[in-house]
Amino acid sequence: MIVRRLVRLLDSRLRLSAPVRRAMAKVFPDHWTFMFGEIALYSFVALVLTGTFLALFFEPSTTDRVYHGSYQPLHGKTISAAYASTVELSFDVRAGLLVRQAHHWAALVFIGAILLHLARIFFTGAFRKPREINWLVGVTMLTLALLNGFTGYSMPDDLLSGTGLRIAYSVVESIPLLGGWLAFLLFGGEFPADQTVPRMFFAHVFLVPAALAGLITLHMLILVRQKHSQFPAPGRNEHNVVGSRLWPSYTLRTLALFAAVLAVTFALGGLFQINPVWIYGPYDPARATSPAQPDWYVAWEEGALRLFPAADFRIFGYLVPSPFFPGVVLGALTFLALYAWPFLEARVTGERTAHQLLDRPRDHPARLGVGVAALLFYSVLVGAAADDVFARLLRVPVTSLVWTFRFLALGLPLAGGMLAYYLARALRAGSAPEFAELTRADLHRGAKDDRVPGDGDGPPAARIEVWQEFGLVWRWRYVEPTGGAKDLELTSNIDYPSEQEAAKAARAAYPGVPIGPGRPPPGLELPAAPATRRLGGPLARVFRLAAWLVVLRAVRRSRSR
Amino acid sequence: MYRARRVAAATAVVGVLALPAGFAPTPTPAPTPSGAPATADRGRLLFEQSCASCHGPAGQGTQRGPSLVGVGPASLDFQLSTGRMPLTREQRQPERGKPAFSRADIRAIVDYASTLGGGGGPAIPSVHPTNVQLGQSLFLDNCAACHSAAGSGGALTGGQFAPSLAKATPTQVAEAIRVGPGLMPAFPDTVLDAREVNAIAEYVRALQGRHTDTDRGGLPLGRIGPVTEGLVGWAVGLLLLVLVVRWLGSRAR
Amino acid sequence: MNGHRRRHIRRAELAAAGAFLLAALGAVGFAVGYAFGAQTQLEGVALAVAFAGIAAGLGIWARRLVPAGGHVEEHGGFASPELAAEALADRVTEPGRGWRRGVLVRLLGLAVGSIGLALLFPLRSLIAPRLPGPTHTLRHTPWRSGGLRLVDTTGRPVRADEVTGNDIVVVYPEGHVGAGDAPAFVVRLDPSRFSARPPAAGVGGIVAYSLLCTHAGCAVGLYEQGTGQMFCPCHQSVFDLLAGARPVAGPASRPLPGLPITVDSSGFLRATGDFSSPPGPGYWSRP
Repeated sequence: MIVRRLVRLLDSRLRLSAPVRRAMAKVFPDHWTFMFGEIALYSFVALVLTGTFLALFFEPSTTDRVYHGSYQPLHGKTISAAYASTVELSFDVRAGLLVRQAHHWAALVFIGAILLHLARIFFTGAFRKPREINWLVGVTMLTLALLNGFTGYSMPDDLLSGTGLRIAYSVVESIPLLGGWLAFLLFGGEFPADQTVPRMFFAHVFLVPAALAGLITLHMLILVRQKHSQFPAPGRNEHNVVGSRLWPSYTLRTLALFAAVLAVTFALGGLFQINPVWIYGPYDPARATSPAQPDWYVAWEEGALRLFPAADFRIFGYLVPSPFFPGVVLGALTFLALYAWPFLEARVTGERTAHQLLDRPRDHPARLGVGVAALLFYSVLVGAAADDVFARLLRVPVTSLVWTFRFLALGLPLAGGMLAYYLARALRAGSAPEFAELTRADLHRGAKDDRVPGDGDGPPAARIEVWQEFGLVWRWRYVEPTGGAKDLELTSNIDYPSEQEAAKAARAAYPGVPIGPGRPPPGLELPAAPATRRLGGPLARVFRLAAWLVVLRAVRRSRSR
Repeated sequence: MYRARRVAAATAVVGVLALPAGFAPTPTPAPTPSGAPATADRGRLLFEQSCASCHGPAGQGTQRGPSLVGVGPASLDFQLSTGRMPLTREQRQPERGKPAFSRADIRAIVDYASTLGGGGGPAIPSVHPTNVQLGQSLFLDNCAACHSAAGSGGALTGGQFAPSLAKATPTQVAEAIRVGPGLMPAFPDTVLDAREVNAIAEYVRALQGRHTDTDRGGLPLGRIGPVTEGLVGWAVGLLLLVLVVRWLGSRAR
Repeated sequence: MNGHRRRHIRRAELAAAGAFLLAALGAVGFAVGYAFGAQTQLEGVALAVAFAGIAAGLGIWARRLVPAGGHVEEHGGFASPELAAEALADRVTEPGRGWRRGVLVRLLGLAVGSIGLALLFPLRSLIAPRLPGPTHTLRHTPWRSGGLRLVDTTGRPVRADEVTGNDIVVVYPEGHVGAGDAPAFVVRLDPSRFSARPPAAGVGGIVAYSLLCTHAGCAVGLYEQGTGQMFCPCHQSVFDLLAGARPVAGPASRPLPGLPITVDSSGFLRATGDFSSPPGPGYWSRP
């Protein structure tokens, strides 16, 4: 009742009926892998909510003050305000530690979800024309997310993150010509500079979230304008979108995911300790802790720094220090490759048409091979970042692990990429529905790069049916016999005021498919005309309309149950 | 490899002790065996049964074990009470385990072995853990680099490692500080006096969770840090959410 | 709708209702827990139950009570029809049509570009005001004053006779405890074991080096007694103190800079000058 009144209240001020009904009817494909981006989106919301709470307590300053909180080992010590406020948040603010840990866990999940989403987009070719803009926006958001994650855990000025900040400073310093100036510029002077924490705070709390919010909005607007892509399947083609309507199906599911993300965030935040800064102690340039790793999403850089050999050299008397290559060059090449990929691939394959249908990963074995190789490469680097942890666990010298990881970093991507390539070819060449059911014959065909001959231009015996509902509006549906018990039936998402418009939409969605009359869905049959005396005149029409509308509502309610 | 280092370490310790008096810590006389001669006999008996095969009947050292002459009661007590000695199997670095002897037996062996070859070496320190604030500062300055700020241990070169301090008693902490077992530095009285050692012992207790809510945030995941945190983020957080998404979305294309 | 399906629906509705009730309980649990100062784990679980209940309820509603899929929407194509696209392009480029207007557009670009470049100059202010740039600052440390006593991290001056070969002492210049480029350490070594001379003068076997790793600047805090090796925890570089602190493993390429020291008349250690080379990681203009 309340909702109904609210709707009428808003509509009487904003004339919402047509745009909102059209919006609610928008179709979104349902596949579960299409929801990865939403995991990232809702993690971002969780980050903003928990982050707001934290920002109300955190003091972004390296000015010293005396700690008087309840964590005994620090009591009475002179430490930076940033560190002190973080420990106070963890021990003396009620629910402070929960929110702090939830925030940090949400960050780990956020970037992980972005990566899953990126992998899905990559392997299904969703970045191809016309979606290159969204790919560029997405990669930018990944960069910003990495930056925010790093500044986020570096702000508390503790020993572990301060060590990481020192390494980041050295990496910036290593840039030829500009390194020293850039480091001084970004961090505010020689390390450790007083300006660093306040600047990180401002970037972390305002600049980057604002940019992310803007980019997310752009990302979704483009998605809505272009409509979501879909996997090839019966009923789906380059001219339509098949799936659920925004309201109520899609909305309920996405809200459920939102709640699930929050549930996981707080479960992790309450149950698993993360970044216990009070144990690490305040940052001091003369102190060290071992093992020392950054968060996982920066660990690929750390691994590269550990694996890359001591390869300083001098040009004309000037020094190019070795952290430059694993630190700066690798990072730059990674993001350059990410940004350029859609255009590189388009040039290599020569594709110029826009796509609404996705590739299955096997349809493009070269891309799959490259993607698998890249994932393996960065995974090995992440593993290498923990080489001293492995060394201690396995009781082996760290140096031998460094060689092992070097070998893996170069060999595993190559081997894995090639294996993925040939397996994809085998899948594509044969009729095995999935990877676990490949046969030897498929593998042979794959080696020769046979392809399964495509079906004709369309499935036989598919048809479009158009009908009228309640004498008022027209709808159409697509019917395709599947060879099973039930035919595939896809209903148009909106109704149309005339038969011509319905047919036009149907032709646009399914070019070349014959159109004919059809029956409304069962349960929607018009009841027999009442035998009572009919009222005459224009009033009669209004009353009839009202009656049909009442019937329509009643029947719809029973249909949706 | 371990043995070579132990020999080198022992030599270094002995060498240091041989330097002009101003440098070496004043050697305290080995404590006289307490109680009846039966204890001394027990000590000698246990020594001959369990230690002499590698360290020699007079503790003078053999190919299999370094000399124990002058290592001091602290070192002997440390190795025995942490269960590192007697070595039960070949290891690059002896590791903490269940002590092979009872407290009384350990005392007996220490009393006996510390008299070998004339005695000498750091005595078992008496520890009164106190002053956790000073302890934290000292621990982070001197210990965290190898043992990790969280006391969970860390890797060293050559496949060796600084062990976790989760089970270390205050006496063992003090002994290790004075003796410097294995690759660990030895901190003499002039660098860390008794008050400071007491403080470090108190902080190690705090790290172990005694009267301090050190692991307030939940499961500490071994206190290894971002490595295990990242693993949990993927294996728990993202896995759960991917399962949720599989339930909510459709599987058929 | 047959009875079987009706039962399924009923069950789903009950499940969703139960989930929402559980969520409410969780929320109450969180509120009560908070009011009584509850600890982090309980609060987290309560809140997680609350959100999970909503997630489950909405999920059941979406999966079982509301039809999913089965709808199709036509896609009008990604580009406008050719004529319309051309019309748009024409309309947008209207103001700049013609040679003279074209020049105007280019001059506008020049103006905006110039402002953009000029506005880059205030970036210099981001480097802390009143401080010199990196070329000079990175080269020198507070040790350069010469004659400063070595003090430990608590500020206590270090005596030469306190330094042993069994441990290192981390030191700062007196009056500059905590300075970022100044940390150093002293240790006593046996000169007869040196395979290379230390880069800076020691005194009686006591040598001092910069504590900052020459790879990425972390404190090389791990001293391995007996081997004379320093191990950096960040990227596992190993420095051999008996060979002039030369890196023997790991990604560091330059030895640790040495700090020249002497003993003063009272027995305290003093530095006689700055490090033998700039401490910490490398950079372009490093000498």
